[in-house]
Amino acid sequence: MKDRDDFREEIEFHVEMRAELNQEAGVPQDLARDSARRQFGNATLIQEEMRRMHVNTFFESFLQDLRYAARGFARQPLFTLTAVFAAALGIGSTTAVFSVVDRILFRSLPYAQDDRLVSLGMTAPLDTNEFLFADAYFDWRKHQTPFTSITSFTAGVADCDLTETNPMRLGCSMVEGNFLLTFGISPILGRNFTAEEDVPNGPRVALMTYGLWQSRFASDPNIPGKTVLIDGQPVTIVGVLPANFEMPTLVHPDLLFPEALDEARERAGRALRVFARLKPGVTLTQAQAAMQPLFESSLQYVPPQFRKEVHLRIRSLRDLQVQDARTASWVLLGAVGAVLLIACANIANLLLARATSRRKEMAVRAALGAGRGRLIRQTLTESLLLGVLGGLAGCALAWALLRMFVGLAPEGIPRLDQAALDPRVLLFTLAGSIASGLSFGIAPAIQNPQAESLTGSRTAGARRMLLREWLCAGQIAISLVLLASAGMLLRSLWKIQSVPMGLETEHVMTAEFVLSRLGYSEDARQHQFFNELETRLGRIPGVGSFAISDSLPPSGGTRGRLLASMQVEGQPPFDKGTGGLIMWRYVTPGYFASLGIPMVRGRAFTEEDRAPGASTMILSQTFAQRLFPNRNAVGQRIKTNEWATVVGVAADVKNLGPMQPSEPEYYILRRHVPDENSRIQEPPTGWRQAKVAIRTSVNPNVMAGWIKREFAALDAALPVTIGSMQRRVGRLVDRPRFNALLLTLFAGMGVLLAAIGLYGVMAFLVAQRTAEIGVRMALGATPGAITKLVLSRAAAWTLVGVLVGLAGSLFATRALGSMLFEVEARDPWTFLVVLPVLLLIALGAAWIPTLRASRVDPMTALRHE
Amino acid sequence: MVELQGTLVLLILKTLARGPNHGFGIALHIQGASDGLLRVEEGSLYPALHRLERDKLVSAEWKVTGNKRRARYYKLTPAGRKWLAKAEDSWDAMSKGVGRVMRFA
Repeated sequence: MKDRDDFREEIEFHVEMRAELNQEAGVPQDLARDSARRQFGNATLIQEEMRRMHVNTFFESFLQDLRYAARGFARQPLFTLTAVFAAALGIGSTTAVFSVVDRILFRSLPYAQDDRLVSLGMTAPLDTNEFLFADAYFDWRKHQTPFTSITSFTAGVADCDLTETNPMRLGCSMVEGNFLLTFGISPILGRNFTAEEDVPNGPRVALMTYGLWQSRFASDPNIPGKTVLIDGQPVTIVGVLPANFEMPTLVHPDLLFPEALDEARERAGRALRVFARLKPGVTLTQAQAAMQPLFESSLQYVPPQFRKEVHLRIRSLRDLQVQDARTASWVLLGAVGAVLLIACANIANLLLARATSRRKEMAVRAALGAGRGRLIRQTLTESLLLGVLGGLAGCALAWALLRMFVGLAPEGIPRLDQAALDPRVLLFTLAGSIASGLSFGIAPAIQNPQAESLTGSRTAGARRMLLREWLCAGQIAISLVLLASAGMLLRSLWKIQSVPMGLETEHVMTAEFVLSRLGYSEDARQHQFFNELETRLGRIPGVGSFAISDSLPPSGGTRGRLLASMQVEGQPPFDKGTGGLIMWRYVTPGYFASLGIPMVRGRAFTEEDRAPGASTMILSQTFAQRLFPNRNAVGQRIKTNEWATVVGVAADVKNLGPMQPSEPEYYILRRHVPDENSRIQEPPTGWRQAKVAIRTSVNPNVMAGWIKREFAALDAALPVTIGSMQRRVGRLVDRPRFNALLLTLFAGMGVLLAAIGLYGVMAFLVAQRTAEIGVRMALGATPGAITKLVLSRAAAWTLVGVLVGLAGSLFATRALGSMLFEVEARDPWTFLVVLPVLLLIALGAAWIPTLRASRVDPMTALRHE
Repeated sequence: MVELQGTLVLLILKTLARGPNHGFGIALHIQGASDGLLRVEEGSLYPALHRLERDKLVSAEWKVTGNKRRARYYKLTPAGRKWLAKAEDSWDAMSKGVGRVMRFA
């Protein structure tokens, strides 16, 4: 800051000037100087005062405290390492989870005023998301009042092909002309669709996503106005979407086409996803009320039997995107919060122990005139420094954890690919570090250093010890809550995995593909491909059996048919309700053999069933039970697209995954030539989308090569995805497994920290009572008695922690709710396992210091005093 | 001799309002202007000056005087000027009040 020499020079100048003045007044030179000094006063004191004016600022003393704290920490590396480790575990895991959850729960979506955007439509069985048929949409669009703007796109992304040199498979979606406007997005290049373009049979134009523009068109700035070939048709690119553009349903198309809804002809047309922007001041509830009459009048478009099962739904865009990730997000956030809490309690305990050993130092400082506020500031500076150090180490841990999450995470966690330690997350980490620093610093800081501490009396420590034991009990309680939650998720996972799927998934490989629209739009051309494919697959050595189907269990995207639209020979048509949607699959004869689905009655399809005259079908057991409760289904005739005879009943397959009951389904046989069934080319992909299942004992890598070769020989440009049935079924368990894994990890951290904490407290207790123990032993106490003495205290506090934890667990596990599968929130088995584990760990942590206590040598202990 | 800390600060700032000066000059001016009525203990001026500097009411820099000596010159900052204006107002009000009380006494 200011130099001492500066102060001296300033004073010297003053004295000299005064001396000269005195001399001018006739005082002799030496006297003049002396008197000038006298007039000035005590130069040393004044100089000191001048210095103080500059030194005594808040920041200066903060730096001083910081240096002092750092020196103190450097002197006790073991203490510092333990504290920083605990803080890093707490802050690091919190940061990692926050970086993922923030994208899901908190961060704003990439749309202007995203909180005003809603998704609306009808809900019906089998589609978890709301949709609207075009006819109802036209009415809603015309008569709605609560929205400034309402828009739609045709659900899903369809495969389409860029048919130029170097063809490429793309995803195409169709959006209404005002789609971008409603979401507040403008193209970074070119323009939006015009009203003239969003009409039936309008010009063929498209908007390109940033990704495609960059990767395929080298960010060509002149792309607007250029023409590309899509499925063989020229399409003019009118604009490029911004880099952060996202479809509201988080699907990833490469090109957007005008939806070109035809109000005159599209009655009872396609299913749309509808989005709208709320008018200022209108709430969701108000919007819901305002749309209710419109919804009721549009029920007229719904088949009468269907009406009871259809409801109006309006929800925020975030709710649509987050889906069922919300519970898991909050649970994980709660879990890391608990770990952080344990870490803070742990460090507070460490600091308290340290404060006890520093009582004399503090008392000396207080006696030398350090104010109470000054000492509190010093202590808080120390804990803040610990918090920030922990935060830094935590960032490294968070980075590693985040990479682990991304590596292990199942599909379908919204925006996981975007999660990163960006400034917003780091700001959160900093806030977390400071908050934890303050929280674990409070207890040691408010310990009032008293001069009496100088006397070395030990009575003051009693209350502090109680606080430390409470902190310990708290850590054990929170660990128990974590362990119980993790235990329940693990048990759920185990239950899910032991559900029989009704399939033999081992040794079954899959191949999935979508034939291009350009080459295979005709029914006959598709049949030619599939027939050829069957021949080629059958020729591959080592193929036991194989099947071509439009879908494979367990999956979404399975075709469904309203029960009410079917007819059973000799029975009146269904008239009560829709009967719901019945799944069906379009398969080749090898389907049941390939997937290992046993026949309960009758037989599987044979090659003869594919002859022109024959017409057969197979029902699942649930479906057969439902249609023919007390009769044999085999031999019955049912009309779907055409009349067919039931030749067999197949065992149920868990077609919606292990956590849901089997839905009824039926199977229709693929013929070698076009027929009634193959003529229905709905949805947009028609039958061009297909999946192959191959049962083989050949090494999967080798077999994958062989399968690919056969496909390449048929159509070199066709992208084929090879997988395994086991992976396909396993994927359904990925989410519960991921959640259980994370929670177990965090519970492990919590228990580890709690054990360290308990160990620390017991070790400290033993060290503090060494003299007492020595006296007891000198008076004849056996090591066993000492062990009992020390251990009983640890046991008492562990028990308190366990009791509090049990009560907490009953509440906490209820929050797991939908994440549990066939496990009660107060599942006794989980507690039966978790409790002994926790007790063992706690007693183990207490055992080591106890052992030391029982080996105290009375002589050494007494001399210690 | 006036002990009031606030008075000393007011006197220093008022002196500096006439232009930059070093500590000795400020001391001389205060003595001269008050006809020797107010005598500042010369040394006590300096901690006050440095506090004013810390509080950014004055700024300081080393300069060479007319007779080639290095001296630390103090100058009012805009903040100091504002503070002075306010303090003068309240000083006036107070001295008027004191005057009135004295007359009645």
